[in-house]
Amino acid sequence: MARILLIEPDYILARSYYEALSQAGHQVIPAAGAQTALLVADDIKPELIILELQLVEHSGVEFLYEFRSYPDWQRLPVILHTQVPPAEFNQSRQLLKQLNIQTYLYKPQTTLRALVAAVDRQLAVDQTDQPQAAGRRQKQRMTAA
Amino acid sequence: MGEGSGEQPILSQALLLSVAEELKLPLLQIARRAEQTQLAGAPDLTAAADIRTTAEAALRLVDNYALAVRLQLESAELLIEPVSVSSVLYDAGQQLDGYAKNYGVELELHIAGRYGTVMAHRHGLEAALVSLGSALIEALPAQESPQLKLQLATHRSRYGIVAGLYSPTPALTAAALRRGRRLQRHSRQPLLELSHASGAGVFVADAILQAMHLRLGASRHHRLYGLGTVLPSNNQLQLV
Repeated sequence: MARILLIEPDYILARSYYEALSQAGHQVIPAAGAQTALLVADDIKPELIILELQLVEHSGVEFLYEFRSYPDWQRLPVILHTQVPPAEFNQSRQLLKQLNIQTYLYKPQTTLRALVAAVDRQLAVDQTDQPQAAGRRQKQRMTAA
Repeated sequence: MGEGSGEQPILSQALLLSVAEELKLPLLQIARRAEQTQLAGAPDLTAAADIRTTAEAALRLVDNYALAVRLQLESAELLIEPVSVSSVLYDAGQQLDGYAKNYGVELELHIAGRYGTVMAHRHGLEAALVSLGSALIEALPAQESPQLKLQLATHRSRYGIVAGLYSPTPALTAAALRRGRRLQRHSRQPLLELSHASGAGVFVADAILQAMHLRLGASRHHRLYGLGTVLPSNNQLQLV
């Protein structure tokens, strides 16, 4: 079970994603826009974010720039789950790599089951990464000593 | 899809593109609500599954239409890459499977043999095959003597590697396609021998393939009739 911040502007879709992820055992906190999401993230300390790029007022990319500027949030896994089609997404692939995004899901072709599977996969990767990172940090400290 | 007669067609194309993008949202909402009903184990799961499949098929059509328009408007940015035809057919089959079952159509995949890779826009090729397949799945049961079999298949011809959809129905001819193209802007039912509806999926496939500098045409596969496209094989890619 993980705390997931779901940034989804559409109310009805957000409800479906909320229910499916909650049913899979996760604690889901929805936010409709970038500003609210930043405040909520600060408050709940999410373990994963699901993000639509097409938001009102501030885009998902703006959110990511702001979010990644805080040292605490630079490594937090973010899944892009968006209406932006793969053909358009290809042009900004490099940019999103810089923003440390590993998973992109095209919303019209992603079932709830596939979304839940992607979340679980991302969390599993994150869990295996964490002990390795901790190991690396310890090794660095020992070398420095 | 053409932009031959001045500015007006481009303006209306852009407007239709926004309508298509807008339509995707309610269709996606219906599909995901239906899926959630299934996941929650509601009493009538069959109805939820049917609603979901239908909404997803409509979503694909709208999405593929939007892709066709975008590819035609931005053909300079076409991302061409080495593509395995068999894997594209397999993925298209996965997308069409549920829809075929809804219509009682037996969908088969015939990708035996080694065809190597071709240079193509993978997403566009898959979208074209899925659009074409959806249109044929809807059309087959409405015919006078319905033969509810559809095969996603590939074979080698002297012009290259052919990928398409095939059925025992002899209505899938070059003449029907030609007539359909001619009537498409003027008739509610341009593919008269083939489809009781507008057959939009066939024309969306046609437009996507055109944007990728390919052609939709009639072809035969074993004893079946069908529509497909020829992908030029590349000898250098065969070495990879």
